Amino acid sequence: MDKAEIRKRLNDIQSLPTLPPIVSKLNEMVADEEITAVKLGKVIEKDQVLTSKLLKMVNSSFFGFPQRISTVSNAIVLLGFNVIKTLIVTSSIFEVMQASDVGLFEHSLGCATACGIIAKLRQIKNPEEVSTAGLIHDLGKIVIRSELPDEYEAIVEEAEEKGLYMRQVEKERIGFGHGEIGGILARQWNLPERLVFPIEYHHKPEQAPDFKEIAAIVHFSDILIRALGFGSGGDPWVPALDHAAWERIKLTKSQMKEVIAELDEKLMELQDFTLEIKLDG
Amino acid sequence: MARLALVTSNTFNRQDERLCLEAKGHLVSYKQDVARALETILSDPPDLLIIEKGLERNLDREVIAALKNNLQLALMPIILVVSERDIATGLDWDAYSVDDVISSQATIEELLTRIELSLARAHRVADNNPLTKLPGNSSILKSIQNMLDEQADHAVCYVDIDNFKPYNDKYGFSRGDEVIRMVGRILVNVVQEHCGSNGFVGHVGGDDFVFHVPNNEAEPVCQDVINNFNALIPLFLDEDDIEAGYFTSTDRQGNERRFPLTSLSIAVVPCEPGKYSHYGQVAATAAKLKKKVKALEGSNYFIDRRSGY
Repeated sequence: MDKAEIRKRLNDIQSLPTLPPIVSKLNEMVADEEITAVKLGKVIEKDQVLTSKLLKMVNSSFFGFPQRISTVSNAIVLLGFNVIKTLIVTSSIFEVMQASDVGLFEHSLGCATACGIIAKLRQIKNPEEVSTAGLIHDLGKIVIRSELPDEYEAIVEEAEEKGLYMRQVEKERIGFGHGEIGGILARQWNLPERLVFPIEYHHKPEQAPDFKEIAAIVHFSDILIRALGFGSGGDPWVPALDHAAWERIKLTKSQMKEVIAELDEKLMELQDFTLEIKLDG
Repeated sequence: MARLALVTSNTFNRQDERLCLEAKGHLVSYKQDVARALETILSDPPDLLIIEKGLERNLDREVIAALKNNLQLALMPIILVVSERDIATGLDWDAYSVDDVISSQATIEELLTRIELSLARAHRVADNNPLTKLPGNSSILKSIQNMLDEQADHAVCYVDIDNFKPYNDKYGFSRGDEVIRMVGRILVNVVQEHCGSNGFVGHVGGDDFVFHVPNNEAEPVCQDVINNFNALIPLFLDEDDIEAGYFTSTDRQGNERRFPLTSLSIAVVPCEPGKYSHYGQVAATAAKLKKKVKALEGSNYFIDRRSGY
């Protein structure tokens, strides 16, 4: 499959599927009379597909905030309960949920958590935005998984066999790495560049045209969460740390300790939720 | 020429039928999957939706209800495609709040006629603001007068954006339009979440909005509106201005000066049953209140506590 063909496929994507248990959990919540948009948001912001869908809608031409909205809580205020409810009721799901789908879900959630902690520590104004970037950084993998399922399987297999990173095999087989694919889709969906660049450049953050700091935090969190073994990114290899990016966000030893301690605690809290998702699956 | 969305299993989707619609200059998007269609409709609404009854998982009812409950899309006409049997047995029109109905066996000429009629009818009733799609002046007047006549215990709330003109001058019209859309969305969502169909939101024009809600909801609604506005407005300001706490632009006399960051003012006029009989009286009270609330710094609401007119 050549690059033009892939671009065309990306252009045709209407919506991406997500994990069935998350959608059924949200459907149950929607049926409850007392439910609020904010409560729904707390679940939506744990899932990269639903989060990107919400952001796609709020940044669309009809809602009229092009490239402006980068967090679930802001999207919710603008979209309102009814739109969110409709999005949930009509969202598409994976017909067959594989272990790797749950792995990627956990990896994304873990990465978002780490991003939020580091962003706060670095006193970035809107840490939620950085965790959103972390949450959806691997959107490209979902695209390959759902649009090119055969390729996806072959890529995972080859990466494991030859000891290569996913993105190396992706580039070889389909011409794009998942970062680029996620970037193309995010741009097509009118998401703000503060999200597009970190997605596109999460493996080479110093090459991002702008928002290098967010890209560097996502890059580092991606590595950190894989090293901790929370979830799985598809291949078994922890990516190499970009030294220039590390220089940019360098944490001292004691800061690092702080990050790990807080991350440990938050991941423990998340485990209840991810376990629920796994058991329902 | 109109933009149509056709969500049917395959009805009205033969090549000659497609050609007929296109020959009339309509831009038609064909969809079979309701869920996917809905996402497109919500993010880029067509002028008219034609949807077939009984599509997968009974999502048709869900979708129709969702669109008709959406304050900004309620005026988009929906034509329901039904079987001959449905026409014979009749349908529950409260469950299907559509604008028109057509048999799946109808000719393309009939479909075309219904499309033209629906579009013309929608055009007649619309005094919606083009920017926010919210009801405009005549609907606002009608809604408030109805509320007074019915002696519903509501409060009428007048909203405007402080220092909007200098904002527009500094940041440009297109960002100004975004701020207005943002305020419109916040009002619609907060009013809907608190009061459902008991509330009303209209857009007078420019940076002026009006809404009315049951009296006991007025205060919580105002609080939520202001909280949401304060959470979002930084996205529409430059970082330097946020840091400085003001922005520089020109005033009405053309002098350059500093303006406080954009905020929201709401004047709340409670209308206990019998207190006002005419819309004009409410507006007069609001005009006096507005001066008071505008004099306060930042985003505020101010409730008229006087009894009697």
